Amino acid sequence: MPPTEHVLVLALMLFCIGAVGVLVRRNIIFILLSLEFMMNACALVFVAAGAKWGQPDGQIMYMLILAIAASEVAVALGIVIQMARRFRTLDVDAASELRE
Amino acid sequence: MTLTDLWVSFPLIVLVGGTLVLMIGVSIVRTHKLALGLTLLTLILSVAAHDIALENITTGYELFGLLNVSGIQVFFNVLFLLGAIVTALFAYPYFNERMERCEEFYILLLTATAGAMVVAAATHFASFILGLEILSISLYAMIAYPRESHQPLEAAAKYLVLSAVASSAILMGVALVYAASGTMAFAELNISPESGERSYFLLGQALICVGIAFKLSLVPFHMWTPDVYQGAPAVVTGYVATVSKGAVIALLINYVQATEVLSYTGVFYAVVFVAVASMIVGNLLALLQTNLKRLLAYSSIAHLGYLLIAVLVVNTARPELVLETVLLYVAAYFIITLAAFGIVNLTSEHATEDNEQMEAYTGLFWRNPLLASVLTAVALALAGIPLTVGFIAKFYVFAAGVEGTAWALVWALLIGSAIGVFYYLRLIYTMVKQVEPGAAALPQVGTQSVVAVTVLGLLIVVLGVYPTPMIDMIRTIVQASGF
Repeated sequence: MPPTEHVLVLALMLFCIGAVGVLVRRNIIFILLSLEFMMNACALVFVAAGAKWGQPDGQIMYMLILAIAASEVAVALGIVIQMARRFRTLDVDAASELRE
Repeated sequence: MTLTDLWVSFPLIVLVGGTLVLMIGVSIVRTHKLALGLTLLTLILSVAAHDIALENITTGYELFGLLNVSGIQVFFNVLFLLGAIVTALFAYPYFNERMERCEEFYILLLTATAGAMVVAAATHFASFILGLEILSISLYAMIAYPRESHQPLEAAAKYLVLSAVASSAILMGVALVYAASGTMAFAELNISPESGERSYFLLGQALICVGIAFKLSLVPFHMWTPDVYQGAPAVVTGYVATVSKGAVIALLINYVQATEVLSYTGVFYAVVFVAVASMIVGNLLALLQTNLKRLLAYSSIAHLGYLLIAVLVVNTARPELVLETVLLYVAAYFIITLAAFGIVNLTSEHATEDNEQMEAYTGLFWRNPLLASVLTAVALALAGIPLTVGFIAKFYVFAAGVEGTAWALVWALLIGSAIGVFYYLRLIYTMVKQVEPGAAALPQVGTQSVVAVTVLGLLIVVLGVYPTPMIDMIRTIVQASGF
């Protein structure tokens, strides 16, 4: 098994890629994809930490994250479909009526 | 699982059971009245079930190592349930006018409330994350609920992306803390200063704090608040502003009392900065607003900054004073905010879009004295003027800040409040102005939820003039919980 620190560095890199994706991408599908990146980076740390401490908790948290990410995406896609229907685009900048 | 476990978790079981009944009921008969009735019944039964739960706990009851139920949690839970009852009452006329099918809204309302109750009682990161996600995911759908219009959809998309980023930050923080300390229970989180893993333990704590600040919409993580408050239907905005924030505040106070997170100097000063920035920036930006919902959004940012003072003095002031302050402030904030959004909701009951521009309230005193009086009470209470419940709450925060010798925070509170008075009084001034002839008439308001708004308005004044019963009750609860 690789040392925990290596996994942590990898996971933090994945997390940052996801965070940058959320900030830079304008297409809502890609934003959701980047969010998935961030969630799964967290799941990776949990698995590594669980292995390090020899506890099942890390993997239980991994399952929890899978369930959370799935339900979040389900609702998110519902909103995406409505957005595509109402705004006729998936560009988040097109949906910016809320200003002062 | 023992019988006592069952009785202590009974309120949650009732709530979730009611949700299932409603879900099945709605799929068989689609009647808006029935859905509302079942929702109210479930919420009231769950409030009543807290009585049974209280009989089975002494100072606090550890449930499955995940939740801790004490008098304080019961207080928060009852507050969330009452908030949900008021929201359901406001939602009925609002959606009845606008939409064909709206029964699912009540299912989401119940699941969100269940999530909030879990978050408030969490003593373990697993229950915290699970509760938080149940709450947030229900909120996404609630915000986007009037799916025909553009603004709620945009608000939901923004809230979804930013809230999911905040959730990932919390998750990453929890994962790092777990990797460093080997536990996820709040009470056991600790790490010796010499440990080589301290660096990522602190990084994890910082990420958790960032995520919580996002959820509480504190500066500099407040960008989503005005947009979501404006875009969401007024009913949902009231719910987001009260229950979802109340739950995170309850969690935060649990967390800082169980762990030593605020004794790390770096984290402490970061939170002080966030609190001061929220109080000042929130109030300054509120000055510029012409939209009532956005104004309330910025005012809520400032108010959570005030509340953070009580959290920050947790290590220097008496713990019972800290808890009393938090409980009192949250209760007052619930009453005031629900009344405020209740009025926005009432005045826009028959409009296609929410009636939220400040001009729409010009001369409200001459057109609808009752609503104008309640809105005046709300504005005065938000400003913290004496004889309203807002003053009592602010006074408690002030006292806690002074006892904790947090002078910078107390100064920020004073400066923020001084700026705040200006725009709250401007709102009152707008309402007193004479209506120009030819101005668009205010929509006729229905009688159903006028009662709820009036009761909330009366509570603001009555609890402000005679707060002793409420203060005594909160003191008893805090003492019974072992402080």
